[in-house]
Amino acid sequence: MSDEAQGRSAGLLHRGSGFLAATTRQTSQRGSERDMNGLTTNRRQALKLMGVLAAPMIIRPRASWAQGKVLNITTYDKFVPQEFIDKFQSDTGIEVRIRLTDDQGKQYNLLTAEGSNPSTDIVTVTGHRLTQFINSNLLAAVDTGRLKNWGNLAPSYKDAPQLTIDGKVWGVPLLAGFEALARNTEYTKASDSWSILFDPEYKSYTSYIISDFLSITMRYLGKDGDYVTYEGKREEAQQATNEARDFLIKHKDMVRKYYDAGSEMQQMFVNEDIYLAQTWSGPTSKLIMDGHPIELSIPKEGTYGFLYSFNVVNNAPNADSAYLFLDAILASPEIGAAMTRQSGFTSTFNGVDKVLNDRERAASTLPEEQIQRIQFFSSVNRDMKNELIDRAVAEIKAA
Amino acid sequence: MSNKSFLFADAPRTMLTGFYWAFVIYLLGPLLLMFAMSFKDATFIAFPISNWTLDWYAKVVQDQQFLSAFVYSLFIAFATTCFATIIGVWISMLISAEGIWGKALLFALACLPAVVPGMISAISLRIFVSVLDMQTGTAAIIMGHTVHAVPFVVIMVLTRLRTMPANLVDAARDLGADSFIAFCRVTLPFLGPALVGGMIFCALTSIDDFVRTFFLGGYRPTLPMLIFAKVQGGMSPEINAMATLVVIVTAAVGLYAERLTRRSRIS
Amino acid sequence: MNDRDNPARSGGPTGNAPRYSGWIGRLAGSSAYRFSIGMLAQSRAGRLAMLLAVPLLWIVVFHIGPIFQLARISFLQQFPIPAGSSGAYTWANYQIFFADSVYFVPFVRSLIFSACVTLAALVIVYPVAYYVAKVVDPRRRTKALLLLLVPFWAGELIRTFSVIMLLANRGAANVLMRELGLIDRPIPLLYNYFSLSFGVLYLIALFMLLPLYAAIEKIPSHLVDAAADLGAGPLTRFRRIILPLSKDGIVSGCSLVFLTCVGVFASPLLLGGPGTVIFPEIISAFFHGASDKWPVGAAFSMIMLVAALAIAGLFMRIVGGSRSTRFM
Repeated sequence: MSDEAQGRSAGLLHRGSGFLAATTRQTSQRGSERDMNGLTTNRRQALKLMGVLAAPMIIRPRASWAQGKVLNITTYDKFVPQEFIDKFQSDTGIEVRIRLTDDQGKQYNLLTAEGSNPSTDIVTVTGHRLTQFINSNLLAAVDTGRLKNWGNLAPSYKDAPQLTIDGKVWGVPLLAGFEALARNTEYTKASDSWSILFDPEYKSYTSYIISDFLSITMRYLGKDGDYVTYEGKREEAQQATNEARDFLIKHKDMVRKYYDAGSEMQQMFVNEDIYLAQTWSGPTSKLIMDGHPIELSIPKEGTYGFLYSFNVVNNAPNADSAYLFLDAILASPEIGAAMTRQSGFTSTFNGVDKVLNDRERAASTLPEEQIQRIQFFSSVNRDMKNELIDRAVAEIKAA
Repeated sequence: MSNKSFLFADAPRTMLTGFYWAFVIYLLGPLLLMFAMSFKDATFIAFPISNWTLDWYAKVVQDQQFLSAFVYSLFIAFATTCFATIIGVWISMLISAEGIWGKALLFALACLPAVVPGMISAISLRIFVSVLDMQTGTAAIIMGHTVHAVPFVVIMVLTRLRTMPANLVDAARDLGADSFIAFCRVTLPFLGPALVGGMIFCALTSIDDFVRTFFLGGYRPTLPMLIFAKVQGGMSPEINAMATLVVIVTAAVGLYAERLTRRSRIS
Repeated sequence: MNDRDNPARSGGPTGNAPRYSGWIGRLAGSSAYRFSIGMLAQSRAGRLAMLLAVPLLWIVVFHIGPIFQLARISFLQQFPIPAGSSGAYTWANYQIFFADSVYFVPFVRSLIFSACVTLAALVIVYPVAYYVAKVVDPRRRTKALLLLLVPFWAGELIRTFSVIMLLANRGAANVLMRELGLIDRPIPLLYNYFSLSFGVLYLIALFMLLPLYAAIEKIPSHLVDAAADLGAGPLTRFRRIILPLSKDGIVSGCSLVFLTCVGVFASPLLLGGPGTVIFPEIISAFFHGASDKWPVGAAFSMIMLVAALAIAGLFMRIVGGSRSTRFM
């Protein structure tokens, strides 16, 4: 901290005096000077006192994250293997700094709050959040020409439509996941339909993420849960949403808990608080890898899929390093395998299958027939979808 | 101090003792379950524990990331406690002083940060930091934690300060002490347990804080950041082993401090 | 042992008297200190400035500053402000709250829930605080307090998970009852108001304990003894002497618990169920949901903020009585 603190009290005085007026604009040095002239002696003394107290808090005005040989990544724990980072650092001389996150919302909020001066170069985005990031102008499109290992991606993900918006590619896909039905095989019968979540036999033994399951329920009821076909047809969309909402409210007594995080769901299965759930494939695969009697399947009504991708942040201070890093990651299936082990999701890299062991492979693979039922989230008509679903979620919760 | 039947005869005394121990069990019971889980040889925590192991501890003790995160968290908590205590006591002195106008408003404003839910407080602090043109990192974290901790000190200290006889300070002044000396010799000792309580709150809220740290922090994880990130990948006994070590260390520090103060009182 | 009678000696756990006077003595003797204190403390204006400067600056800069950002966002139509536009201000975000009951019900529920938890915490923790402050042997008092403090250092998230391990269908409580033959099927204890209040109480008990302890500890024992000598029964002594004299602790303990309880929304919500949706959860949805509505979330936070502070203030005024209202 000491290096940050040295001799910055003068800087604070300037900024401190201007802060009230400077809530929306950046105060220039000269602007502060002018503010200072208007101060009374008392205020000046007070500020000095404040400066003494706050001296250790003063930070150097030039951001350290913008210095040459650094790369800042916000991602999940163990997503990028430490050995890989060490090797990358010694190969390139770039210092890699990881900020650990635990969910998408925090990442989004952080980037939004930072505005045009991001402290991160690479973020990890889930498919269903991608358009939110793009619409808020937080990401930069990926120039695939700069990634010579781009070809190492499995063919179906190389130019996946869900990452291609307005002809530009947004993000390097890392992992693929989908929303699935998870059930405890010891206590429940097999089912090829989402209807098992509404079976009175399992009353108060089910759980789901409301916003995700609302889409699936719409699909279950024969509507378009991804709102692609509702573009410009607000009333129809509203009606479909309301129908699914009322259906879920009617069956609210089936639910043990509305959950948010994968770890919650895992713990509920392990503790036998629930037997059935709508889940994301990753966390459930991890339960299966650990030998719990859980089965993952995609019911006949179908489901939605999404991608995890590394994205370069808009105005990233170290974009060049970011590209070097992304290219290095694509070079090795080992890294893809490590991400699969940590998250339970399927890797998008070629040749990862050969690196995983049998159990790991089995946990993340489904019969081809079920895979066909996955529809990847689109990027069309997001505003209407988000607005209607968020509203319905609040109503279901409050009911 | 005479200890004869302070409130009740012996029967209520036994009842209170029983109540205290029941409360201790309430607080410690779930924690002991968590300790037990740290010895479980499996990826997820759950009953029954069929295989026991010490591997998680071996792993955690050697985990450089955990150790540095723990030390970093302790450092932040220490700095937060120092700043928040000074500022909190100062604000309390102002609110309890005579002839100050608008005390209700002052008090409400002083308590403001305690009411804002974590995420919202973190976002507004992050925007605020950019408005100040301050850089995120250790200093910003300490600033954020201090803002959050000050209300706890203020509420604790005011409780005791309000009942302080004014003549105590006057007496000290009559004996020739100036305001600051009188404050150190009379007011601070009078605050005693309330001040210590406030400091405990500061350290506790700081060491436990995740959201503010995430938003204001740089790239060095604190203990809660590490734990939240690990929980995201599944609640494993490793996390329990970490928490157990933290509790043991803090308990040891507490016992040591207790011994020190007891000795110094006797001497 | 009595702090009240000999304040100079009782530094409490903060330090001991001789060393204390040592550095103060040196400080008071130094010329630099004499000079600066002489400048500041001689005039009434100097003393006032010293008293006012830091607190006012701190409150204005660091308490109002961030909240001001929040308030500003709550009036914006859109945040982040789209490039090119200046950002129009609007009341609409506040109107959403009053428009219908979807948001109002959890809001009221949240306030009632917090009030109930506060009351429960007071009733449960008071005897414990009393025991530690007055009944237990003074030599073991710190240890008794330490035993209550230790669990809190495990961290909020870990403590929440430990409550889950206790109450889950395969948790300790159900396993134990099944072993004893009391039940055949596990009783669902989690994800309802019971587990939510159990957990919240578990997480915030300390915020009640320490203020109560600090208040009860300073009640002079001889007052109570005198009352006993005059023939007052235990209940009378409690009602007439101990309760009124610990009122400050009750007021601050209750405000601390209530305020933290209203703002709580991380780990404890893991213990709630479909029927226990409270307001912070609604607010967090505006910041966490797929469609980002920061302005609405900010507006709702402001509403909650004002409501919580108003209730706490009212409570202090009513319960605190004449003495406490001095600072109000």
